Amino acid sequence: MSDFFSFDTLSLHAGQTLDPEFGSRAQPIHQTTSYVFSDTDTASSLFNMERGGHVYNRISNPTVGVLEQRVAALEGGSAAVCVASGMSAVFCAITALVSQGDHIVASANMYGGNISLLKNTLPRFGITTTFVDPTDLNAIEAAIQDNTKIIFGELIGNPGLSVMDIESVAQISKKHHVPLMIDGTFNTPYLCRCFDYGANIIVHSLTKWMGGHGTSIGGVVVDGGNFDWGATNKYTTLTEAYAPFSGINFWEEFGPSAFATRIRAEAMRDIGPSMSPMNAFLLLQGIETLSLRMDRHLSNTKEILQYLDSHEQVSWVNHPDMPDHNSHNIAKKYMPKGAGSIITFGVKGGRDAGQAFIENVKLASHLANVGDAKTLIIHPATTTHSRIDAKALVAAGITEDMIRISVGIENVTDITQDFNNGFRAAKKFI
Amino acid sequence: MYLTVNEKKVFASTGGKPFEKNQPVVLFLHGSGLDHTFWGLHSRFFAFRKYSVLCLDFPGHTHSDGPPLESIEEMATWVNDVIIEIQASAVSVVGHSQGCLVSMEYVSKFPELVKSVSFIASGYETPVNSFLLDAAENKPRNAIDKMMSWCFDKAGHMHQGTIPGNSMIAGGYKIMQGNVPNELFADLNACNNYKDGKKAASNIKAPCQLIIGGKDKMAPRKSTMALAETLPSSTNIEIIQESGHMVPLETPNQCRDLLKTFIFTNNPTS
Repeated sequence: MSDFFSFDTLSLHAGQTLDPEFGSRAQPIHQTTSYVFSDTDTASSLFNMERGGHVYNRISNPTVGVLEQRVAALEGGSAAVCVASGMSAVFCAITALVSQGDHIVASANMYGGNISLLKNTLPRFGITTTFVDPTDLNAIEAAIQDNTKIIFGELIGNPGLSVMDIESVAQISKKHHVPLMIDGTFNTPYLCRCFDYGANIIVHSLTKWMGGHGTSIGGVVVDGGNFDWGATNKYTTLTEAYAPFSGINFWEEFGPSAFATRIRAEAMRDIGPSMSPMNAFLLLQGIETLSLRMDRHLSNTKEILQYLDSHEQVSWVNHPDMPDHNSHNIAKKYMPKGAGSIITFGVKGGRDAGQAFIENVKLASHLANVGDAKTLIIHPATTTHSRIDAKALVAAGITEDMIRISVGIENVTDITQDFNNGFRAAKKFI
Repeated sequence: MYLTVNEKKVFASTGGKPFEKNQPVVLFLHGSGLDHTFWGLHSRFFAFRKYSVLCLDFPGHTHSDGPPLESIEEMATWVNDVIIEIQASAVSVVGHSQGCLVSMEYVSKFPELVKSVSFIASGYETPVNSFLLDAAENKPRNAIDKMMSWCFDKAGHMHQGTIPGNSMIAGGYKIMQGNVPNELFADLNACNNYKDGKKAASNIKAPCQLIIGGKDKMAPRKSTMALAETLPSSTNIEIIQESGHMVPLETPNQCRDLLKTFIFTNNPTS
């Protein structure tokens, strides 16, 4: 018998303190901007981080705080900070560590927004990135420079679906004393808890499978509490006195949650990408059923892979659970339940056939999102990854004929019948 | 800040303010396998109210040089060496769990500078069962699991914490993971072997405060009340009903308010 609550139980309860006044069973939505101080000493204590609690919603909120503690619990992290979107999570995590003149090593096979941030936006502030094949360990190590502050990748690359061997990459990051940051959006902690394999920071777009219902944008940064920021003099944002907060030294005073505390003290205050309490409530509702939904996502994915693999109009199918996928064995190691519910495939007939397919499915929704309970479909080359150049498209594993499906939890026969309509329309382009 | 004590590097968090030897000192002593970060919110509070704060890492723990000390008596002597090194003149001692055993031994032997003693979650003895001792030495992950499970009440197990976004149980786990296997075993073994607590506690003349977690499984009520009966009759006994063993983490605001009242009274700033 375990000493601790299971994943499923934490998904429902972690972080929540029962409302002492009315006994509300659901987490109340604290829709307020600010909090009344009981006295001046309490007020000054809160401002000086001597007392836990809430001051102003840009910094923290009780409903958002429950979501933060729930995600930290599910990931096995020491602390978490929720923000307005997955992209703001990536931005806040990076800027908590990286300053002008610093460098990042990043996977070339990542969500287009991540690529654009690293390639276009951060260089304007003197922060550069070397992009590498996330499956090439030698390339990752070779790209590390003296000023490298973060190694960043996705466990399951979007949309190429290559799987990073995070345990091996973590060994490299540890050797060079650089934290490994993983975007775990596609795997969720239900499929893989990346801290267990040596990752130091996890970011999520909570909008996707974690929330799971396509209602709310949100992101989170989870602090693994497992990186020794003081072992070198590289991470001065955490190890040196921070003047705007009375000279606070995050590493000295907050130890395993130093990184998360820096984000709350700096990014939430100075940049302000706060999550609304309503969104936190909706995302909490989603997380309550994460394991149930993920099991159905995976079983549907398995059947749709078989359907597509045997379909005469499909030129190729890409998913790490396919035996011939180049990440198959690594995927089995890190995600034995299944490597997520994103499938990419090519329709015979090229771009026109793909377009016909997408326009003739009715159940699957054509939109720019993944991880909804409903099945979603898109053409990445003309949408999510349309702003990156041809070379980067190839590096990200994207082709002109690629269709990306985010497999939902509908009855799987209804999904395949819907796809039959799409294939009938696409047939005339072969 | 780092000190050199007995030619070894010692780390002490000072709560975000430089240490001033002319101010009254609040000395925080952590429990088995833990470190200075256990006292985060409390240390900062006192440091910003004209106290000089020292949250020590015992030898071998987190940032202090090893090896770990092997007995409570050695730890008490080491604490005195630290106090001499920093040239303190008025010291309030705050101990948690094993830190309480060290506190009673230190205050009993070296009472001159001590203005007050706050014991949190301890009896005058801390017998450690053989399963936990064996696990600490041979299967430290199991030992940490058991300790974290027993130390925290339900709120801890549900990853709550008063600092927004922080899981107090995960934080405790990460600190202990950095202090195994040698330090955790040495600490637990030292607690188990310490038999002079009753005598030491009965020698204490300084004002005392005993803060007890109402749901503490590690220091059960029978044990803490036995310590209460041994300490001076003026001892303030405070029970925080909703807390388990990790009182400063589980109920930091209540704990800090109790420490504040007691220390402000018995070791005032000028």
